[in-house]
Amino acid sequence: MISAIYNFALTTGANRVIRGARIEHVCGDPTLSPEKDYAFGMRIVTTALQTLTVAVPGPTLFDPMAPGKETAHAS
Amino acid sequence: MSGPLRVVHYVNQFFGGIGGEDQAHVGVTVKAGALGPGRALEKALGDGARVEATIVCGDNFASEREAEASRAIAAELDRIKPDVLVAGPAFGSGRYGLACALVCKVAQSRSIPAITAMHPENPGASSARRGIYILPTGASTTSMQAALDTLAPLVRRLGQGETLGPSEVEGYMPRGARRVHDRGRPGYQRALDMLLDKLHGRAYRSEVPYAPPERVPPAPPVADLSRARIAMVTTGGLVRKGNPDRQVSANAVRYHRHTVAELESLSPTDWEAYHAGYFNHIVNSNPNYILPLSFLRDLERQGKVGHVHEHIYALPGVSTPVAVSAGHGRSIAADLKAGGVDGALLVAT
Amino acid sequence: MRLEMGTFPVTDIAFGRTTRYDAGRLTVDREAVLAAVRQDPRIASAELEIARPGESVRIWPVRDVIEPRVKVEGPGVCYPGICGRDITTVGEGRTHRLAGMGVVEVSSVNWHDAGGDFVETYLDMSGPYGEMYPYQKLLNLCLVVEPDSSLNEEVKNYAVHKAALTVADQLGEAVRSLTPPEYQVFELTPVDPTLPKVVYIWCVHSPQAMSGSPSAFCTATYGLTQLTPPWYLHPNEILDGALTGPYRTAFAMSWTVANNPLLLDLYRRHGRDWNFLGVISLRTEWTTQTEKQLMANQTAKLAHQLGAQGAVVTWDAGGNEFIEVVRSIQACERLGVKTVFLTSEDDATDGAPTMLEPLPEADAIVSTSFFKNVTLAVPEAPAVGRVIGLPTKTVRRGSTIGLHGGADAALLTAGPLPPPWRYDDHYGFNSLSCIE
Repeated sequence: MISAIYNFALTTGANRVIRGARIEHVCGDPTLSPEKDYAFGMRIVTTALQTLTVAVPGPTLFDPMAPGKETAHAS
Repeated sequence: MSGPLRVVHYVNQFFGGIGGEDQAHVGVTVKAGALGPGRALEKALGDGARVEATIVCGDNFASEREAEASRAIAAELDRIKPDVLVAGPAFGSGRYGLACALVCKVAQSRSIPAITAMHPENPGASSARRGIYILPTGASTTSMQAALDTLAPLVRRLGQGETLGPSEVEGYMPRGARRVHDRGRPGYQRALDMLLDKLHGRAYRSEVPYAPPERVPPAPPVADLSRARIAMVTTGGLVRKGNPDRQVSANAVRYHRHTVAELESLSPTDWEAYHAGYFNHIVNSNPNYILPLSFLRDLERQGKVGHVHEHIYALPGVSTPVAVSAGHGRSIAADLKAGGVDGALLVAT
Repeated sequence: MRLEMGTFPVTDIAFGRTTRYDAGRLTVDREAVLAAVRQDPRIASAELEIARPGESVRIWPVRDVIEPRVKVEGPGVCYPGICGRDITTVGEGRTHRLAGMGVVEVSSVNWHDAGGDFVETYLDMSGPYGEMYPYQKLLNLCLVVEPDSSLNEEVKNYAVHKAALTVADQLGEAVRSLTPPEYQVFELTPVDPTLPKVVYIWCVHSPQAMSGSPSAFCTATYGLTQLTPPWYLHPNEILDGALTGPYRTAFAMSWTVANNPLLLDLYRRHGRDWNFLGVISLRTEWTTQTEKQLMANQTAKLAHQLGAQGAVVTWDAGGNEFIEVVRSIQACERLGVKTVFLTSEDDATDGAPTMLEPLPEADAIVSTSFFKNVTLAVPEAPAVGRVIGLPTKTVRRGSTIGLHGGADAALLTAGPLPPPWRYDDHYGFNSLSCIE
């Protein structure tokens, strides 16, 4: 699940949660140039796809901007 | 009610004295009288109450052969005709908790009042098991006596044919039957009273009890993305431009499935957002922000994703009751499964 | 801050030759008041009508209900900042108010044109639907007003709201120089130092997220509607209208904000049950987790730095707005500020949790029942004899599922009408709640 307001996805049980950019533009950022916007969106999407290939113990947050630093949720 | 209270007690293989984990496969047996904690239960009930019989079943049997176990237990209950059934307490033991919940349901189906007790985070207490009385306990058996002492008055009342009051009064876990109730005093007064109680260290009771969220077991990982079929779902309110399907902007009773087999990307001339919970204009300029088709197609072309599924699923995720959302989710999941989808991206706004 | 409040109870309203107040009877010079409204060239049409308690009258569309309050001594004007009014800090000197009445802003103008937010509230002066709200007991002077249709949506909103404030000001003038029958001093006086210190964390929706505009019309703080970090308000500022409505729900009108029973009771029992430190106002509907958490952290910090030991929290509801509210509660609890949360609940079918993000720190909740009228099973409001405002009301699909989930129909306002989507008793006026 890709969401800009990811915490309550975690606290309500979603297991693979990827941080999106902003509610109004989850997979990208229109304030960037078209190229950078697309690259940013692609980073979010590829991070999301990668999470499908890993086992997770429970609700886990993946941050496209901080790869490798997944946080298992503790509420 | 004439005569002393007649109770049937349900326990698992461990509390029934049969054995530990190695005996979790045993089927349903019945012993006359109380066993193990049933003796303490009898004592806590007082007033000459009797545990007429103890039904014992292995935790694995109860979970793996549910129908068989249910039938056997129902037959015993029909034979004994107790005033009330008590299951557990199961504390933190998950399979035992699930079994206790099952047994209570069976008893209720035979018109026998039933109650169990377990830790609030026991899987047996989750929303799938609502509709039965579950008293919250600590996580371990060290709180056995406290659990039995709390259970006893409720067991007596149920056995006497009484209907219990609301969960916040009686102390059992909410059963998913929340309803409108006039509390007789304005909310602002109740709030300030509760504040004073809390500040002065007095007992207070929240009018909305905290319920730990359900845990969903994570799906196992996709083995190889480059051969996987990937689908997309969005709650961002994606609709075809002009909303010809007449989807609503909130409180959706249905989702829409669209075909994207021929599309490389979602174009703003053909798609837009119709969602009453966020500013839609940015997505209107680029619908891929909430359903990343353009990105998936790129990755498909590069061979990094095996196949982009031809169907996408959309609804506006705002103000949808949880029960309705769960229904949408189950339906979409079934569709994806039938379509041979290996993994899905859900974009939420 | 020391505020003297002079209250003039209104027991009847009638049109007459001059605008004056005499022993409870308010006479309104209709033409003079409308002339003041029409001075604004943005106004295309304006009319005044009176709705009395008990009458078979329905008012639609209701955008705001405003209690006339005027500053007679001291700095600033009441309802500061909004619609170009003076932004001088209020809360001191003397204010006169007309109690028992409201100026109702009736107009077809919608909140903004970005979609998703619609004016939905109508008010009945009698009958079971009207009884759910405090306005049924008020004498309501309704301004039915339309702006120049060529203006952009945002300007239209401010034009009609300014018109309603103009009416309120005109009425307030009638009591400016009179001696108030009721008089009260509002001051946060020094109190017994052992009393617990409490704040009121007042969460208010911002229309910026939905509209894409930082100046979109909606509930305002000194006229600002945009997303801003939390700020401290002295309760006197709120009595002088520094926090105004409206938002889309019936309980979010300027009238309910100025007459918030929670605020008034916090004030009344200052020095007796607690040391009331004031209000922290937090704008909600930020659209990233980081921003929401930042607001929560800063709100809790502000409460803690003020010395608060306890906080009562309200919000004016919505969807993801809940996140920063509950996270503020969590942040407060983690700093040792004990919280009580006054809130409505969502649908509980199949044992669903009734809050968007239940957190264990939110352990002291007072419920004002389900916020959706369909969940409350509120029946259609019965037909009425007279309508003030528009003759039809569009009932949107999706907004009344279960009652009228069907066509995007235009129903007769006078006929039986389904209730608006939300009930939502933000400040705990009523005793309706939920139980398990």
